[in-house]
Amino acid sequence: MKNNIRVERAIKNITQADLADLIGVSRQTINTIESNRYVPSTVLALKIARVFNKPVEEVFFLEDND
Amino acid sequence: MKTRFLFPHWCRYLGYALFLIHIPVVLFQKMLGFDIPGQHIDDGGLFSPHHLFFMTTTLLMALGLFLAAFSKEKIEDEQISQLRLDSLQWAIYVNYVLLIVSLILSSDTQHILFLNLLVPLVFFIIRFQWKLFQNNRMLKKDGNI
Repeated sequence: MKNNIRVERAIKNITQADLADLIGVSRQTINTIESNRYVPSTVLALKIARVFNKPVEEVFFLEDND
Repeated sequence: MKTRFLFPHWCRYLGYALFLIHIPVVLFQKMLGFDIPGQHIDDGGLFSPHHLFFMTTTLLMALGLFLAAFSKEKIEDEQISQLRLDSLQWAIYVNYVLLIVSLILSSDTQHILFLNLLVPLVFFIIRFQWKLFQNNRMLKKDGNI
């Protein structure tokens, strides 16, 4: 699964730490999600999408091998 | 996701402290030389001084490792619990491989018991902390962008 959290963050002009605080996880977690090393749970994906005011599908996408 | 059955964060330091305390105690015992393998095992049996000493030091070590392994992180989230589960799986794999190898190659049950007591927790702690360290390093490398 891929995501464009980095882009969305840039649009909203918030840091990884800000996003982490907003949804109550560690900065490391946001970093691992952005670098595609960790796939978040549905709950976390929904929370992230809510911060950006977008549906989940616009933040997270399936890859061909998923 | 709520993680259950974990000790508070400060228990980690208590655990490390207990483990560190047990090392000089055991070294002292070895230096005094009254723990020569095979020589004192059958004297006194249950609750003899030797057995009591062995029980206390082993309990100190096991409790220390247990607390260090199963205490919460400062920020406990789902990625951490995923890492913890992953490391636990690795620890069990490594433990069983070593257990099988030692069962084939050795008949010393006391050492096998000791190995079984130490390996899962020690390997778990090292692997888990290593992964946390890697995550932190990645975070530093990427900068807070």
